[in-house]
Amino acid sequence: MSRAVVIGAGLAGLVAANRLVDAGLDVTLLHKGLGGLQLGQGSIDVFGYAPERVLNPIKAVSQVATSHPYAAAGSAAVLDGLAYLKQELPTLLVGDPEANYQLPTAVGSIRPTCLAQPSMIAGHVRDGAHLVIVGIRQLKDFHPQLVAENLARTVLPDGGRLTARHVWVDLPARDGEVDSFGVGYARAFDTEAFRIAFATALSPQLKDDEVVGLPAVLGLADVKAWRDLAGKLGHQVFEIPLPPPSVPGMRLNEALTARARSAGVRIVPGVRTTTFSTVAGRVASVTTAAGRTYSGDAFVLATGGFESGALELDSHQVVRETLFGLPLTGVGDGPLVHGDYWGAEQPLFRVGVSVDAAMRPIDPWGAPAYPNLWAAGGILAGASGWKELSGDGIAVASAVAAAAAITKELS
Amino acid sequence: MTIPEQRLVMGEDGLAFAGHKLSRASLDACVKCTICETACPVSAVTPLFTGPKFVGPQAERFRNGESVDHSLDYCSSCGTCTLVCPQGVQIAELNSQARAVMKADHMPLRDRLIGQTVLMGTVMTPVAPIARAALNNKPIRKVMEAVIGVHADAPMPPAQSQTFEGWFRKRPKPAGPFPRGTLVFFHGCAGGYFEVETSKKSVEVLEHLGYQVLVPKQGCCGLAQQSNGLFDGATKDVLKLCDDLRSAGTDLTIISSSGSCTGMLKHEAHEIMGVDDERLRDVGTRIRDIMEFLLELHDAGELPTDFAPIEMTVPYHAPCQLKSQGIGKPAIEVLRLIPGLTVVDSNATCCGIAGTYGLKKEKYEIAQAVGKPLFDMVKATNPELALCDTETCRWQIEQSSGVKTEHPIYLIHQAYGLS
Ligand SMILES: Cc1cc2nc3c(=O)[nH]c(=O)nc-3n(C[C@H](O)[C@H](O)[C@H](O)COP(=O)(O)OP(=O)(O)OC[C@H]3O[C@@H](n4cnc5c(N)ncnc54)[C@H](O)[C@@H]3O)c2cc1C
Ligand code: SF4
Ligand code: SF4
Ligand code: SF4
Repeated sequence: MSRAVVIGAGLAGLVAANRLVDAGLDVTLLHKGLGGLQLGQGSIDVFGYAPERVLNPIKAVSQVATSHPYAAAGSAAVLDGLAYLKQELPTLLVGDPEANYQLPTAVGSIRPTCLAQPSMIAGHVRDGAHLVIVGIRQLKDFHPQLVAENLARTVLPDGGRLTARHVWVDLPARDGEVDSFGVGYARAFDTEAFRIAFATALSPQLKDDEVVGLPAVLGLADVKAWRDLAGKLGHQVFEIPLPPPSVPGMRLNEALTARARSAGVRIVPGVRTTTFSTVAGRVASVTTAAGRTYSGDAFVLATGGFESGALELDSHQVVRETLFGLPLTGVGDGPLVHGDYWGAEQPLFRVGVSVDAAMRPIDPWGAPAYPNLWAAGGILAGASGWKELSGDGIAVASAVAAAAAITKELS
Repeated sequence: MTIPEQRLVMGEDGLAFAGHKLSRASLDACVKCTICETACPVSAVTPLFTGPKFVGPQAERFRNGESVDHSLDYCSSCGTCTLVCPQGVQIAELNSQARAVMKADHMPLRDRLIGQTVLMGTVMTPVAPIARAALNNKPIRKVMEAVIGVHADAPMPPAQSQTFEGWFRKRPKPAGPFPRGTLVFFHGCAGGYFEVETSKKSVEVLEHLGYQVLVPKQGCCGLAQQSNGLFDGATKDVLKLCDDLRSAGTDLTIISSSGSCTGMLKHEAHEIMGVDDERLRDVGTRIRDIMEFLLELHDAGELPTDFAPIEMTVPYHAPCQLKSQGIGKPAIEVLRLIPGLTVVDSNATCCGIAGTYGLKKEKYEIAQAVGKPLFDMVKATNPELALCDTETCRWQIEQSSGVKTEHPIYLIHQAYGLS
């Protein structure tokens, strides 16, 4: 059986590992820590701003410049990846590649996203809607008044308006705890008893026809907890993602990891890959800081970007890809960071590796750096994932495209 | 039994030891992402503990000598936080060090006592039947709880009437030949005194594969002392052990079926206590967990897979001290080669015991809550047998779920027709 080694367990690495194991390969997934999923919103952004607010994300994908990672992966891989996620995680992701949801954020702005969790979509903003945003006194990081007032003064993407007010519930996640984080509440919402207590405290404060916005802590292990709460309240509810730790992100992370595990992916957590070896110009193995070596026929670099240590900038403004020392695109045309932090985009954010049509990192002359090394996700050059709200979609599409190329190559 | 007074290696201000400098260097890498907070099994079940980020990289900044957050004592040192942190912060190590400082001058007798694993083993072996009876005796356990603070229901090591060494010396010597060469076997104190069967079966599997197995006289790795903050004694023990193991040959692979002791030699002695010694480095790179070793053989195409079928579904729990070695879960891969056997990964973070944590009367309830999902899973999967690589975890799982719990090597031994 052919052996594939995936490095990195963010969205890109998890999707790549799942696709490769589905294709019948023997897959090892190495990571030095969890990826970015539980720091995000728990939805899948495909294209949010280009640079104006995007209503049809797949259309925006088809219009990118040739230097953008979507151009290498192709629209078909985006559609394939989104369909795959919806099929594999039906209780966690829903949505239409041709229409973004427009969902309230924890500061009361309106965020475009492509696939969202079923627990979020009742928040999709509509003209004439009546929202009530619920805060919990003992939960830091969620300010219902801020959310409600900002939403109420915003003209919606389709030109309409909504009304929003806020209310409070006073209910500790655990006895005596006055300052909890979201995960503590999510674990409490996993229990029927807490949902009953919460509904009892909230129900009298609700008015007919109001849609109830809650911090995104409605259950962690139990993905139907939110539905049960909605039933108890007799109102539609929606979750609003919080700053990290993101409970919806944890749900996605755990579901994709559990799927990989049960499909037979060998997962090795807590290991930093530091060096590699080559034989006849091909990558033969990678070695971890603890000294263990993993050999394979194909390698997928899914190590993310600066935030995960995959790219490094030194004090001489030199950027390095930290594992393979791959050639980088987006460097060498002047300063990478300018001082106008609220102004134009920093050139640094577009730095990364460029890939060929098969998602293999290439040298400056367009040839693959190594014939059996592929790349996916945040490591790719040419996009500002956080600004375009395209990082998730790039991770999924590039992972799907890389896995397809590997499967083709090795069979 | 007299307990030698222990002193800590660190200097006057409690910060002047190498391990601390090492971990502290990782502190600035913390980006406050909270990933570690979401993974800690202890803060998940008790509000008494603020969690890894708060007692670790956060409180550490305010520390000048003793930690400012005393809830630190509730950290079980399971190591989960270090494993999930994407920025390389050595959270669990920082916490172990801070706890050692916090308890330096008022270490409870109990913490010193249960750190003395060899002492307990040596003392208990000749009188095993009596020890067993005493440890199973409720009134005596109540007295232990009151006097030294070991919870009356906490799992205790099964005392054996023969040590592993006794068995190894007295049995008929295998005649050979040994086409695969020579290995050194490290049994650890648990494997020497309490989990004798596991050690025996490991040696028999290795010999079946064609290895000559050497067992040099060996002491304790010092892990139990280390996890109770007794760094001085632990450092002496671990270096003495390195000498013991090196006495059998300096280029042989060392195999152990005691997952926790292996972790001590591979990384904990260096990362937590700052032991920086060529002998430790040498042993640490040559040692393999037995299931890791079998998987390496398999990956190289050298493991015979003529296993007899075992028609069974069995739950498997990967202990924290194995997970923090950065080798994944090799037992699962190897066990899956046995026809008919379905291995179900518990995927639980921790069984709760964390070495000696769950024995302590003030931690007992927490440890039980930490392990509850695991105990439930084990009972639901197979009420007859569960598998786990480290001994204290096996005792904990067995005690709390009522399901017999063995080392994975038991089934390998059986599938090779050796039992
Ligand atoms: C502040 C910020 C906000 C963002 N917001 C958004 C947003 O709202 N929407 C959006 O679509 N995108 C956003 N992005 C972009 C985001 O980076 C991508 O969406 C996505 O998370 C990238 O996934 P990934 O799998 O490539 O990398 P990551 O999720 O970063 O995962 C990298 C993995 O590689 C591992 N790793 C790294 N180096 C090694 C090594 N040497 N050895 C072993 N393992 C290693 C890490 O531990 C981790 O598991 C944002 C980015 C930033 C920085
Ligand atoms: S996981 Fe690491 S970086 Fe994140 S908060 Fe914890 S210690 Fe800091
Ligand atoms: S070592 Fe374990 S118990 Fe201690 S803080 Fe880390 S995860 Fe929590
Ligand atoms: S007791 Fe078991 S599972 Fe728990 S800490 Fe050890 S190793 Fe972890």
